[in-house]
Amino acid sequence: MIRQLEVDGVPTLLAPVSGPMHAGLVFRVGLADETPARRGITHLVEHLVLPGPAQVSSHLNSRTGIEHTYFHVQGSAERITGFLAEVCAALRRLPVDRLDGEKEILRSEAEGRVSDPLPMRRHGARDFGMPSYPEWGLDGLAAEHLHEWIARYFTRDNAALWVAGDELPEGLALDLPDGARQPAPAPSSALAQTPAAFTGAGERAAWDTVVRREARAAVFANVLERQLDRDLCRRSAIAAAVRTEYQPRAARTARITAFAEPLAGHRDAALGGLVDALAALQAGRVEADDVTTVVELTCDGLREAEERGGRLPGQAFNVLAGLSVRGLDDAIAEVRAVTAAEVAEVATAAYGAGLLMTPAGTHAGWAGYPVTPAESVPVSAGRVRRARGDRKLRLVHGDEGVSVVAGETVRTVRYDACAALLAWPDGARELIGDDGITVRVEPTLFRDGAVVTAEIDAHVPAAHRITMPAREPGSIPAPRRRLWAGTLVRPD
Amino acid sequence: MLPAMLPRHPVLDPAAAYPKIVTLRAALAAKDWPACREVLDAAEPVERTLLLRACADRAGIEEHLREVRAADPADGAAAVLLAQRLIADGWAARHTGGLLAARLAEAEPILIAAAARTPDDPAVWTARLTSARGLGLGVCEGRRRYDRLAEIDPHHLPGQSELVQQLTPRWGGTWADALAFARERAAAAPLGALNAVLVAEAHLEQALGEGGGTAAGARRHLAAPSVLAELSEAAAHSIQHPQFRRTHGWVQVLNTFAMAFCLAGEPHTARQMFEALDGLGSEYPWHYLGESAAGVIRSYRIRTAFARGGSS
Repeated sequence: MIRQLEVDGVPTLLAPVSGPMHAGLVFRVGLADETPARRGITHLVEHLVLPGPAQVSSHLNSRTGIEHTYFHVQGSAERITGFLAEVCAALRRLPVDRLDGEKEILRSEAEGRVSDPLPMRRHGARDFGMPSYPEWGLDGLAAEHLHEWIARYFTRDNAALWVAGDELPEGLALDLPDGARQPAPAPSSALAQTPAAFTGAGERAAWDTVVRREARAAVFANVLERQLDRDLCRRSAIAAAVRTEYQPRAARTARITAFAEPLAGHRDAALGGLVDALAALQAGRVEADDVTTVVELTCDGLREAEERGGRLPGQAFNVLAGLSVRGLDDAIAEVRAVTAAEVAEVATAAYGAGLLMTPAGTHAGWAGYPVTPAESVPVSAGRVRRARGDRKLRLVHGDEGVSVVAGETVRTVRYDACAALLAWPDGARELIGDDGITVRVEPTLFRDGAVVTAEIDAHVPAAHRITMPAREPGSIPAPRRRLWAGTLVRPD
Repeated sequence: MLPAMLPRHPVLDPAAAYPKIVTLRAALAAKDWPACREVLDAAEPVERTLLLRACADRAGIEEHLREVRAADPADGAAAVLLAQRLIADGWAARHTGGLLAARLAEAEPILIAAAARTPDDPAVWTARLTSARGLGLGVCEGRRRYDRLAEIDPHHLPGQSELVQQLTPRWGGTWADALAFARERAAAAPLGALNAVLVAEAHLEQALGEGGGTAAGARRHLAAPSVLAELSEAAAHSIQHPQFRRTHGWVQVLNTFAMAFCLAGEPHTARQMFEALDGLGSEYPWHYLGESAAGVIRSYRIRTAFARGGSS
């Protein structure tokens, strides 16, 4: 039974648990609130607020998610009270002396991270597309930026607390600044149509979709995983691993992702198997046995989570979204009521909203998937420059924006829909449109290229500018030279 | 010695051996889909797959089949026949820029939908093996599709022949892969079944592939004692076995063995097959040796008729 209380104006959920006591303080802020030029700011705040490395242990953790950031502690009542007091104190007096050190830690954390391009392709370079982007903001972030961010998001009015225990710890206080509730941004769309597909950069075949947030959708995600496991791992040895994930969002929708990691030399088969599994979804073909099994496992999982206090974070997120807190019995009843026919309905809807990422070197045009992004419209008014030594590459630039025309393909970023500008010291620029489309300008490839660099710099506000580290001279592109070998070298 | 009787002019139309094709063609021409289904639904699985393929040469059936599919998206037979028709049309025009790709691009989504709705239809997976090859989806995708087929019918010869093609170097595989698969499926098949012809197909493909596509070039591979022994064993396992029955597909199987033995320099063995065929021919594999498969068959039949030695 979850009790709804309040601690210093912060909505608080309390529920008894069988194991050790734990608590978490969550703020309604995450990657979806960032911009490319500020990407990483929430994570940096999270790192600075978490007490120094000496105290970090398995009983303490914090996490920056897409819509939420939380600080979590497990231990005695005193430990919980003390930890939460430290978090609040750090938010009031940010330990900015650790700024450079934490930036360094974040940079090394990022090194092993593999970017998932699906969010960017679906949403663009904004809100729910931000998880695809690196923490570009780190270099330019100063204490004042962090203070602004905290004042906006890490406030009493934008927080919720959960405590897994019999009662609230004595002396529990949350000394947070006042502010306002910040609703999660609405997800943007960069897709002209769905289903659609694009080619990824690695081995992986992946797919995502957005459906209504409800029990049958969560069941569907697990049913799909069983289907993929059967098709790609058991019936034929094609994938080393398959996985699906169900991620509820505040906006009463949920993102479902699926991916298959192909065995060596099996990219085409992994794609083929995924395409077939998705087609089965479209046809609403769902194995009733899978649904029964998943419903059972989900109910067991909910009961277990309830005992550990594992349902509390999700319920705290609900409170922040203005949704009601759901008891275990209600949640189980909802899952129990899910039928195979309902899962089939979700499957059809999920297919319709799907976005497929094919492994590098493959495409899904053969299966009838339209390619995303669709062709850009070139900027209407502007100067045209041909690349030196490459007749197929052209640049169109003017007050509206910049287009690169490479053979048949056109990519455009308009200044009124420009999310970010990457700027290299050598003059290269990359414009990133709100829709995630990028236009790279290499001034060395064009006569008077520096003029274009200056024009772009004048059009993009400084707040959108991201300074990139200097490149090795060898990696700066040079125009292709025409070889007149025939006139210089006499054949033997 | 002169042959006992003069052979008939070779007949390539599969309908000559399989009267059900005549019925099916007539029903298609009359746009009578229920009558088509009556023939197809009563057929054995391999027979059904081959019936659907045998009618893929009928131009002008596409619109009718699209209507049938629109009325019943779960009609796998209509989906396969339409897809096979599109593939055949594209293949016939494969040297006309882009047409094959366009036909495959229309056929494949039809087959994807059919596989989603009727995943247990061997004709769907057989057609998908053909389309995978045309689309250049690679050996691993071909094998995946074959795995699906084998789950339904582990001895579905039309699909097995498709995979042998996929496994040859022409489509991204190796001769060793193609032969290994052919041997394995031949050995697994019941005695007297047609499947051992896969060994002859794989050897013929390799012989022609390595021999520059000519009969003389092919002989080097096929006449090797080990290969000849394997061909003989395959024939003994299938068409020469007492349990052999003239089930759907037997005409092409006998023609395949006949050509293999002709090129291997075993005319007396080939002659037995020609006699059993009694004038029935097939495009495959004779079309490899000339524009007119019938002309090629006739010339080889004459040569074997006058061949000396052998068991007869």
